[in-house]
This record gives sequence, C-alpha cells and structure tokens, in this order.
Amino acid sequence: MKLFIKFDINTICTLFLKEKLEEQNLNFSTLGFGEIELEENLSTEALEELKNNLGPYGFEVVENQKSVLVQKIKDAIIELVYTDDNNNFKSSAYLADKLNHSYGYLSNVFSEVTYSSIENFIIIQKIERAKQLMIVNEMSLTEIAFLLNYSSVAHLSTQFKNTTGITPSAFLRIIKKRRENLK
Amino acid sequence: MKWIPKFNSSNYLRVIFIIAIFILLFLSSIAYKHNRDLNESSKLLMHTYEINIELERLMSAIKDAETGQRGFMITRNNRFLAPYLYSRDKVNTSFISLKKLTANNPQQKKNLDKLFKLIIQRYVSFENCLKYSAPETYDKRKLDNHMFGGRILMENIRFKVDEMKDIEKVFLEKSLKRYDEEISLGPVFSISLFLAALTFILLAYRQISKDLESLKVYNKKLLISSGLMAESEAIGKFSTWQWDLETDKIDYSDNQFRLLGVQPNIFVPNKDSFMDFVHPDDQEAIAASMEGIINNEELPFIYYKIIQPNNEIRYFKSTGKLLVDQQGSKILLGINFDITDEHLLNIKLQERNNELEKSNKELASFNHVASHDLQEPLRKIQTFISRVSDADKAVMSDSAKEYIVKIETSANRMRVLIDDLLLFSKTNTTKKEFIKSDLNELLENAKSELAVIIDEQNGILQVDNLPKLHVIPYQIEQLFINLIGNSLKYSQPGIAPKINITCEKILSNEYPELMDQPFKKFYKIMFADNGMGFDPQFKENIFVLFQRLHSKTDYPGTGIGLAICKKIVENHKGYITADSEPGRGSVFTVFLPE
Amino acid sequence: MQKNALHILLADDDEDDRLFFKDAFEEVKVQTKVEFVFDGLQLMEHLMNPDTKLPDILFLDLNMPKKTGKECLIEIKKTEHLKNLIIAIYSTSSSDEDIEDTFIEGANIYIKKPSDFNALKKIINEVITLNWHYHTSGLNRDNFLLSLK
Repeated sequence: MKLFIKFDINTICTLFLKEKLEEQNLNFSTLGFGEIELEENLSTEALEELKNNLGPYGFEVVENQKSVLVQKIKDAIIELVYTDDNNNFKSSAYLADKLNHSYGYLSNVFSEVTYSSIENFIIIQKIERAKQLMIVNEMSLTEIAFLLNYSSVAHLSTQFKNTTGITPSAFLRIIKKRRENLK
Repeated sequence: MKWIPKFNSSNYLRVIFIIAIFILLFLSSIAYKHNRDLNESSKLLMHTYEINIELERLMSAIKDAETGQRGFMITRNNRFLAPYLYSRDKVNTSFISLKKLTANNPQQKKNLDKLFKLIIQRYVSFENCLKYSAPETYDKRKLDNHMFGGRILMENIRFKVDEMKDIEKVFLEKSLKRYDEEISLGPVFSISLFLAALTFILLAYRQISKDLESLKVYNKKLLISSGLMAESEAIGKFSTWQWDLETDKIDYSDNQFRLLGVQPNIFVPNKDSFMDFVHPDDQEAIAASMEGIINNEELPFIYYKIIQPNNEIRYFKSTGKLLVDQQGSKILLGINFDITDEHLLNIKLQERNNELEKSNKELASFNHVASHDLQEPLRKIQTFISRVSDADKAVMSDSAKEYIVKIETSANRMRVLIDDLLLFSKTNTTKKEFIKSDLNELLENAKSELAVIIDEQNGILQVDNLPKLHVIPYQIEQLFINLIGNSLKYSQPGIAPKINITCEKILSNEYPELMDQPFKKFYKIMFADNGMGFDPQFKENIFVLFQRLHSKTDYPGTGIGLAICKKIVENHKGYITADSEPGRGSVFTVFLPE
Repeated sequence: MQKNALHILLADDDEDDRLFFKDAFEEVKVQTKVEFVFDGLQLMEHLMNPDTKLPDILFLDLNMPKKTGKECLIEIKKTEHLKNLIIAIYSTSSSDEDIEDTFIEGANIYIKKPSDFNALKKIINEVITLNWHYHTSGLNRDNFLLSLK
C-alpha cells in the first residue's frame, strides 16, 4: 500500500532540537527558524558535545556570521520557492528586502561561503520542487511551469535539462521504472 | 461440380412409364370389354336369328302340314300325309328349341305358350279336317268350319309368329343399341388413350435420348477431365486418393502410386499398405492421423516422409476433406503433395538465412565493438593532449607545438568519425521498439540538442504541426538532428540559416518514388533551407555511406550523417529524397508511412 | 563548505583514467580525499568490509573486468547499508538507453568520460557542488539525478 507523507520540516526540527537541548540540560529559547538563544554561554566541550549530538542528524551548529547569513538566504529562498503565492516579483528584491542587505552583498557572501551563486541555488530549489510536484502531486508540466513562475513549459524543460542533464519526461519515466523495479 | 446434371428425369421416366402402363392396362380392359360386348351382341344376333329360323321352321312345318293336308284332301293320296306326319316332329323339335331359346324372356315364353296352344289347336283342326274330309266321316259343314277355323288359326299363328319375331327384333334392336352405345365410345376412347400413351412413350423416349446425349457429353468431359487431372497430378507432383469411410475402401489415383515410387495399380491400396511406405520417424503421427480420419472425418495438413522402394526419401504434405456423394456415402478426398524439392530448397534457404544473420550479427557487433573500443585510446589521446598545459607548451619548440595542434586536429576528426560510425551501427543493431510518439516533441528535443549552434548562427526554424506516429523515438530525433544540423552547417556564409519544416498527408500514388507501395498514406515532411545547396546531380549520391561533396577542410563532416538518415527512414519503411539548387538552398523530403 | 574533506571512491580498471581523475580532483576547490579500487570484485569486498568508511560519492566505471559496474550497482542498491550511497556512473558510453538504464537501477549521476581534462574538472566541480547542495539543503536524495554527457 502506498502512502504519501508530507512533513513539516519546521515542526520536526524544532521539536528535535528541543529534545536534544533538553537532554543536555540546556535552557534555551527559539528566535527564529534555526536560531536559538541559550541562557548561558557554552563551554567548548559542551559545544562539542552538542555538535556531536546534533551532527548525525544533519544538524550543524553554524558558528560564524557569514554562514548564518548564508543559511538565512537559503531559508528565504526555500520559503520563496515553496510558497504558492504566485507573485511575480524578482527574487533579488525579495531577498534584499527580507534580509535587510543589498542583493550584491548577499550574493557575494553566498558565493564566498558556498562557492556557488544564489541564482544557481534558486534554480536547484525550483527544479527540486518541480521534481516533487511531478512525482508526488502528479502535476503536469504546464501546471508546474505556471506554479513556479516559468514563462513557458519549454523554459522549464530547458532549465530542468540544464540542471539535471535529462528531460522532465525522461526523469519521470526513470522514477516510475525504479518504483516498478522495487515491487 | 457444375457438370454433374440433375437426373431427376429418372423419376420423370418412372412416372411416365407407370402412366403408360396404366393406360395400356386400361386400354386392354376396354378392348376386352369391347370384345366381350361384340361377342354378346353377336350371340344375341345369333339368338334372335335362331328364334326366327325356328319360328320359320315352325311355320313351314305347319305349312307343310297344311300343304300335306291339302294335298291329301285333294288327292287322297297317302303320300301327302307323310310331310304332315313329319311336320309334327319338326314342330315338336322346333318347339323344344324355341322353349330353350326363349327361356330368358318371360314375355316370349308366354307368347310361345300361346303359340303352342294355337299350334295344338291347329293340329286339332288338322285332325278334324282330315277326319271330316275322309270319305268315311265326311262332313262338309264341319269340314268348312274346321278349314276356315284352320285358316284363322293359321293366321293367328302367323300373327303370333310375327309378333314373336317383332318382339325379338325389338329386343335385339334394343340390346344392339345398348351395345352399340357402349361400343361406339370404345374406339374413340381407345384411340385417344392410345394416342396419349403414344405421346407419353414418345416423351419418355425423347427424355431418355436427351439424357443419353447429356450422359455422353458428360462422359466425354469426364474423360477429358480425368485425363487432365492425371496429367496435372503428374506435372504438379501431387496425387489424390479417396477413402470411403463406410466401406473402408481406398482408391489411389495413378500418380499416387507413382509418387510412392511404384507402378500404378500395382497393389490394392489400404491403410496398412500405405504405412509400409511411411518413414519410421513419422509412422506414429501418420497412424494418429489415420485414427483422426476415422473419428473426426477430416484430415488437417500433415507433413511426413516416405521411403520409396528404391530407398529414396521424399517429403510429403497431405490433407483431406470429407465429401458426401450423390448416394450419400461419406468419402474422404485426400491430396498429397510431394514437397521434397521445396523442402530441400527451404532448408537451403534457411541455412543461407542463418548464415546471413550470423554474418550480419558479426558485422554489426564488429561495427559496434570497433567503434566503441576505438573510442578508448582516442579519448586517452585527446585527454592527454588536453593535459599538455600552457606552461608545458611554453617550453616546447615551435614545431613541437604545431605537431601537438595537428595531433589534436586529427584526433578530433577521428572522434567525429567514430561517433558517427557508432551512431550508424546503433541505427541497425539496437532493438527496434516502435512507440506512438509526438514528432513535435522529438523535434523540440532535436532543437535543444542543437540549441547552441542555432543560437550561434542566429538560425530560425519555422515548423508546421507534426503528427503523432509509431516510430522509434530516438532514431527520429537523430534524423531531425542530422537534417537540421546539416542545414545549419551548410548555410550560406553571412546569411542566417532559415529552415522551413512543413508536413502534409499524401497518397503514395502521387509520388513515383513510392510506387512499390501503392495506395498507402504517407506523411510528407519537408526540410527546406536557404543554405548553399548542392549540385542536383548528386541528389542520390549524398545518401551513400562516406560520400561527401566537400573536402573535410572546408566543411568538417564524415559523410555518414545522411546515410544514417536514410537508414533511419528505411527502418520506418519510409523514403527520403533530396533536391537542391546551388546557391538557392536545399530541400530534404522525408516520407513516413501513417 | 564541508568541514571534513569530501570522501570520494573511484572504481576503474584503467590506469590512465584513474590518473586523470586524481589530477582533476586535486585541482578542485573543495577538500577531497580520493580512493581507488581496480575492479568490481575489489569494490564489493571493500564496501562490504565493516571497517570501511563509506565514501560520500562513489564513482563507478561500467566497463570493469570480473564484475561490471552495472552488476555492482545492482548489488549495492540491494544491500541495506549501502543503498543510500550517492553513486555516479563514470562511463565511456553516451547512449541514452544506457544512461536511463543505470538511473533506473538506482544511480544518481551519470558522467560520460570526457576527452578533455578541463571538461573533466568542470564536471567534477558540478558534481561536488550539486552533491553538497543535496547534502546541506534537505533535498530529496531519491530524486537526485544528474546526467553529464
């Protein structure tokens, strides 16, 4: 029997962090997604312990400011891509606005830390969502193109192919055959 | 079989004959009756005649008596008494006859009695006359009385006789009339019946002779047919046999014997004698099929071998069908074909086919493997060349640098060649899966493959709506890539390439090159460009493998691209043609069946 | 980027290809640790060894003696503790069917061996970058498909 489960990353992460921090008897308060204010300063060993506890689960304690900013940029982008508001604004303006920095500055920091560009990241996220929409929601390419603000299906297909190297239809075909194989 | 006529005339004839016989019987019964009637009437005549004669005899006897009496009375000579005495006997005799003759007629009997009484009275009168005329007892008055009385009696007798005669006459007339009536019908009736019978017999005769004629004709045809049949059996190396399923009798045609390798009619065919000829490998199957014939009353196609007496093995194919003939008996008509020649040919053909297939496979895999395996060292060459960094080049001599460049160029050329060869062999060897595909999609894919070049050259593509067809998708895509790529490659220098792709549905009769597939619908897809074109005398040449119209330095290419296009189109049972005018562009036309 | 060096494993029987690969990785911005195995059997032995630290990305040549890349791929995907490995097929073939085939069998990346060193560097860069994104941005690994030919 096939089940499609959608999960809310926010809830999971927050709950998890809470658990883990409570294990270490740390008092904290959440400031935002991925942002925690600890009541007291941690010792190096405690910080290491925390990192080791969180590490296996994919949680990284980000230490420097630039990394924090990059993480915020990423979060903002993900939020942008995954909301269904069909506002046709430019992502650059949105990010600059949301994070209170100039787009140029954001761009530089991002490239410095990640060695790749914001645009690239946006594209990757959009394609990722497109993949999800294709497989889970079984939407047509036209619908997806519209939802993700592409000017045409061809535009979406081209970007898909440029990013992954295969066409959307080929991708769908492969995923379907993979599932058949597993049966 | 149209030449077996319907002889229901046998029924027809039967009916006619029965009618005729009945008529004859009827006629003969009429004739018999007629005869009998004639007999009766003549008997009647005789009867009346006899009565008359007797009556006349009676009369004459009495007259004799009277004459005698008169004579005696006149002459008193005893000689005259003799007739008078004899007359009495005559009268008695006649009377006895008359009594017999009138036995069946009561009226006449009465009359006869009366007559008898009269005659007795006459004779009494005679006696009296004699008595009273004798001189001894002469009495004139009594004599006159009795004489007179005698005369009157005579008259009465005569009267009575005439009366009796009349009665007889009337009676005769009546009877004769009756017979007449009966008989008069007879001849007419008989003649007409006779004529009818004659007509029937003539009809029957006509029918019989007609039937006979037809029989003769059909017989002749039959003979000719039989002859032809036997001939054709001999020529066509087949034979027929008949198996009467009820009597289990089997009949072979002459050729059946010959096919088995023996003289015609050398033995009486039956199931077992046939088995002797069957090859041991097939005996079981043949036995089973014989069972099948008996039980299912049919013989589906069966293939087997026989061994002729001279030990030659022949391959046979037999089948049979149940026929019910006119008498209703079930006959299995069997046909044998000696397919030895075809069989051996088939085997040879199959062997050849297998060889060809094998060599094809070897060739294809050789092609594939060669291209594939050639890629490895080539790739290494190119990669190592690319590893020669600028720093390295800086310390090389000029000639060394030049050589490196030349090596690179050659390697690149080889790469292109191998890629194209690989593509060509792929067009052949990979499994050909036809999927219903939207050609527009495939064209889009081709365009995106060539996107970079199209962009570089500012190429414009104008595309009609293409249909959805059953094709091998990646091959059609390759076809588009090659054709469009060519148009881009051979564009006119300085002029942006423009490619017009149009599509229309056509019927193969309109196009001579499609003539070997008449009345089929095709899609005609035309790729028209505004490139440099080529000399139209080469329009067939360009599809030949490795044929090029330009040197590789002018225009890089391998001469495989269009050959691949042709192969792809052929795989889809279509056609490709090209035409051009130098300087005015070229048109490539692809015909794909519906 | 990554705190620790990216752990790469290449299974390829060709000495020259291994050399190219190694040189290309050395010139990439990211810190990497590259290991080699020489054929399919060796690969599977190495992976099955409980002491082995599994690589971040496995580059797998299809054309190997003793056990082909495809066979290894299938086996890996069937093995519980190996099936989540990121696998990049590294092959000379560019046939769409082969590519699709390996994706269906579970490969994440398909790379056609380039004949230019710079191209190889570029490819590796792309792979690492994308892989890192998948690693750090919560992208669905099951949908991670990249074809570079």
